[in-house]
Amino acid sequence: MTSCENTRESIGRWLDGELSAAESEAVRGHVSACAVCDETRRQLEKIGATLKSVLATEAARVELTPFWREVQSRINRKRAWYEDLLDWSRGLLAAPRVAWAVPTVIALLLGLFSLDSYWPGWRIRGSRNSFAAVDSIDAHGRSVALLRENETKTTVIWLYEDQEGENETAEEASKSGPAF
Amino acid sequence: MKRLKKLLSLVLLFSLASVAAAASGGAAEKTPQSVQVRIRTILAGNKSDEFDAKLKDMEAQLKPLKYRSYRSLKDDGQSVPWQGTRTFEIPGGRSLTVAPQEFQNNRVALKVRLTEGEKPVLDTTVRITNKGSFILGGPPHEGGTLVLSISAAAQ
Repeated sequence: MTSCENTRESIGRWLDGELSAAESEAVRGHVSACAVCDETRRQLEKIGATLKSVLATEAARVELTPFWREVQSRINRKRAWYEDLLDWSRGLLAAPRVAWAVPTVIALLLGLFSLDSYWPGWRIRGSRNSFAAVDSIDAHGRSVALLRENETKTTVIWLYEDQEGENETAEEASKSGPAF
Repeated sequence: MKRLKKLLSLVLLFSLASVAAAASGGAAEKTPQSVQVRIRTILAGNKSDEFDAKLKDMEAQLKPLKYRSYRSLKDDGQSVPWQGTRTFEIPGGRSLTVAPQEFQNNRVALKVRLTEGEKPVLDTTVRITNKGSFILGGPPHEGGTLVLSISAAAQ
């Protein structure tokens, strides 16, 4: 590659001020001594000046006042409730939040279920079945009743005794039994 | 994004640890050393309207039995080891033998035998909520009816 080719490739960046001090000095030295490269510099400078003047003329014609007015009105406008709701639901369903929420809920539920192992009977008394469960019962030929009282969650095993050998008063008491 | 992935991994690890903890916690339900058994013997009748003040805490439980009077005859408590037995004397030459069987799901299984002299009257196995109770009633006594409140608390 000749020195002219190298210089012509760098002229544009030199004019834009993108070269280092040493590179700028080398390009300036070559351009002042080389008529061809100097012509290239003049042409690039002319294109730059033309573009600048055209942009300046066109930009002056653009009316920006309505644009800024619209921006201001949008800033000042009160948002409708459904727009807020829409934004909130979008935020709620955003992937990172859902990804966090699912394992957190699982962990909380597991914690809740395992709590009973560490702290038996922590649940509200009324919410669990506190009735006594009768696995087996043998009254050796006597009559027996099994009752459950809902209000106090009490299980009652009631024996109806044989009347033999009991006095009359006891017989009366046993015969009648509880009314439940 | 890289940070988020790291955080999610941590949360998932925490969830898995919770699963493991819950599983081991469920499997290792501690068996208490013994059971404190309490037998309250009450004489229920219809001769008067007396309600023994000592039974105030049991009023709601006794109410469904619909007797007019309730009098506390005895209140006995004993610590019973698992698979052990204890006998409680009940008025009228009766006795109540209680044997704790097992402790599961916060329930105490009790084997209960009521005898009258040598004669067995009732054999039953009942599972009650820890610190809960049940009522055994019916045997006649001194013109009234015996009501036994049997409660158990694992220790």
